Amino acid sequence: MNQLVAPAKSLDKSKTPGALFSTLSIPIAILVLVVIGSIASPSFLTVNNLTNVLNANSAVGLIALGMTFVMVTGGLADLSVPANVAMGALVTLGAQETMGTAPAALMGLLVASMGGVVNGLLIGYLRINPIIATLGTGSVLLGLSQLLVGGGIVYAQPSALSTFVKSSILGIPVFIWIFIFVALILHPLLARTSFGRWSLAVGGNYQAAQASAVPVRFTKAAAFAMTGFLAGLCGVLLALSNGQARPIIGTGYEFVAITAVVIGGTSVFGGNGSVLRTVGGVLITALIGNLIILLGFPSQATGLITGAIVLGAVGIDAYFRRKAGRL
Amino acid sequence: MTTDSTPAVALRMTGITKSFPGVMALQDVDLEINEGEVHAIVGENGAGKSTLMKILAGFYQPDKGQIEVGGRKATHWTPREARSRGIGMIYQELNLVPDLSVSENISLGAMPKRGPFVDYRAMNAKAEAVLRELDTDIDPGTRLGDLSISQQQLVEIAKVVARQPNVVVFDEPTSSLGDKETRVLFDVITKMRDRGIAIIYISHRLQEVMEIGDRVTVLRDGRHIETRDVAGITPDEMVSLMVGRDLNEMFPKFDLELGEQVLSIEGASRAGQFDNVTLDVRKHEIVGLAGLVGSGRTEVARALFGLDPLEEGTITLAGATVKIRSPRQAVAAGIALVPEDRKGQGIIPGLSVRENFTLPVITRLTNAMLIFLGKERKIVTELADRLKVNPPQVERPLNVFSGGNQQKVVLGKWLLSEPKLLILDEPTRGVDVGAKADIHHIIGEFAQDGGGVLMISSELPELLAVCDRIFVLHEGVIAGEISRADATEESVMRAATGQEVAA
Repeated sequence: MNQLVAPAKSLDKSKTPGALFSTLSIPIAILVLVVIGSIASPSFLTVNNLTNVLNANSAVGLIALGMTFVMVTGGLADLSVPANVAMGALVTLGAQETMGTAPAALMGLLVASMGGVVNGLLIGYLRINPIIATLGTGSVLLGLSQLLVGGGIVYAQPSALSTFVKSSILGIPVFIWIFIFVALILHPLLARTSFGRWSLAVGGNYQAAQASAVPVRFTKAAAFAMTGFLAGLCGVLLALSNGQARPIIGTGYEFVAITAVVIGGTSVFGGNGSVLRTVGGVLITALIGNLIILLGFPSQATGLITGAIVLGAVGIDAYFRRKAGRL
Repeated sequence: MTTDSTPAVALRMTGITKSFPGVMALQDVDLEINEGEVHAIVGENGAGKSTLMKILAGFYQPDKGQIEVGGRKATHWTPREARSRGIGMIYQELNLVPDLSVSENISLGAMPKRGPFVDYRAMNAKAEAVLRELDTDIDPGTRLGDLSISQQQLVEIAKVVARQPNVVVFDEPTSSLGDKETRVLFDVITKMRDRGIAIIYISHRLQEVMEIGDRVTVLRDGRHIETRDVAGITPDEMVSLMVGRDLNEMFPKFDLELGEQVLSIEGASRAGQFDNVTLDVRKHEIVGLAGLVGSGRTEVARALFGLDPLEEGTITLAGATVKIRSPRQAVAAGIALVPEDRKGQGIIPGLSVRENFTLPVITRLTNAMLIFLGKERKIVTELADRLKVNPPQVERPLNVFSGGNQQKVVLGKWLLSEPKLLILDEPTRGVDVGAKADIHHIIGEFAQDGGGVLMISSELPELLAVCDRIFVLHEGVIAGEISRADATEESVMRAATGQEVAA
């Protein structure tokens, strides 16, 4: 055993206690939450409760996966998420009658992706500040969706696709399968492909990345296009499973997604991050939300608590960056 | 204890020790600076100079040790405390606001007030007094951004002098200055010294230390090695104290048969930057591009690399005319650029050495989808070994490495892209002696292997030692082409300053 361990140790000095702690901090946090939960309520550690918690958070989790790329590339955050969720949902249900469910869902995805592409063009190519750009596109698109449905509710018609979306495979809801599937694609995309390397480089030092022949504009734009697509997917899934949609369907989802990404340890300043860690962040936010309810806090306290956690996480990140002289 | 004949000690640092996770940055360092002396500190990158100065400025707290200013011990040493006790810092990068006037910049943070309002008359008077003290003719009412870099630096100095400092630290102040501006700076430093200010002067340019310094302290590996009178030491001795061994600084110049043209540019122009530039580089050849700061050297390099594309003129690369409008096209055509601004354009600080190395060529290390991590690691480890990257830990983030090692990584990143033409803009600026020799060696090998090199440097001895030919730019125009045989500091400087040369 010594022979195996010793050379690895001497070669890889990056496995310092600090690095090890930051790798383990997410599993530890999840474990702690589970322990607290099972002490707090007998109904916490049941298959039913945990499946429900995951199911309820998978849709917004998809957005967090995309938001990881936005943050890694130094794009701060995509605030147009609620609008793209609404677009995905409303277009799907609105077009369902005329073109059938599956084509309508594709249409919803397409429209939301277009929103993401516009964000990408504004931010990546015209270099507009992402907060301003996505705030702008977000209110344009949300306004458009309200105009379309007049602020009312659009109802779904029963269809095979919505039955499928609401079903379970091997006892696990389809929502969770989709989340796992997307995470399994996006994690290697960031960690193991050229595009992922470009994303980290663009967020780490835009000018140096550009001078290293990285397609900086494309990379940044793609992160926003991807987030638009995933917000649309979230909207489509919600619309089909809820059987209805309103323009406010995705309200607050941008913040939940940002929370999950930041808790996962991806830096809001760009240049590092991981999809797997965001998955951890999604789990943690989901468990915290569940615990708040199980512990008997009013559900209105959720915003207070997650908000405080985000500020704490960002603060710690900023502190360590400053200490390392990189801010 | 002090007698009249010994000068008063302005600053005494004793037993300064500072460690960072995994690194002992300073170990029991003593430093004593007298009033009215220019005290140079030299050492390789990573020797601990900047850490020591950051402790002096209050940015870092030492683990152990004591700071005494003007005989009084410092207790709670913060940046604010350091400033109020008369420590002034002048860094390579200027801390000025371009849109404010000179006098506003000088008084920034300490504006004279009349009631709640800024007293502009007093502020201007203060600025004028300080500027006159430094013997400059800068008008305090000028917008700062309208001044040249060297004038801006004088304003920065004036800002520090206006606070009546006891100790002023100059950290690599000449790295962005030409020869003439350096003269002006030295005059100012001498004046400050004569007024009794203690000056700490940090530079890699040992000739400057010889010229301006009264005493010199050598640091190596975080330790104080020696403090000596400059009069009693030679640059060679300094170098061997710095590296702890005798170093043959001579550039290993290979005598190579020059091959066909790698690069030729004809009539290249960009309005306001350079005009009708024609030059060429051949296989195995190292061509210098000399000129004063602002002569258009960097701009030519940036244009060749597609960062600011040419407005007029043609670029021919290995016989084929190419259009280069972006760095991606430049890299595809076989051009690489090691930029002047390493921090801003060279490195991705948070990525590892490995990830920095392979960034431009990462698409060549993948199958249809994924990066071959094993292959990447193997290539990178070999390269780090060849370039003597120290410590040889390719998984560590690049920002924990010293400047010289960062520069090796930037250089290595481009070697991996196997360019035909390697453009180097100040490749050894701010790099210590050992790494400098390594870098020269790497450049030489690249040329030997059949590459062409276009090298910009403000250090004439470096260009003279390394280059086969030197083109000289003066105000954006090629003022001369000088062969290795004819190149001397005088002939290059004559062309660079716009005096006629026999081409």
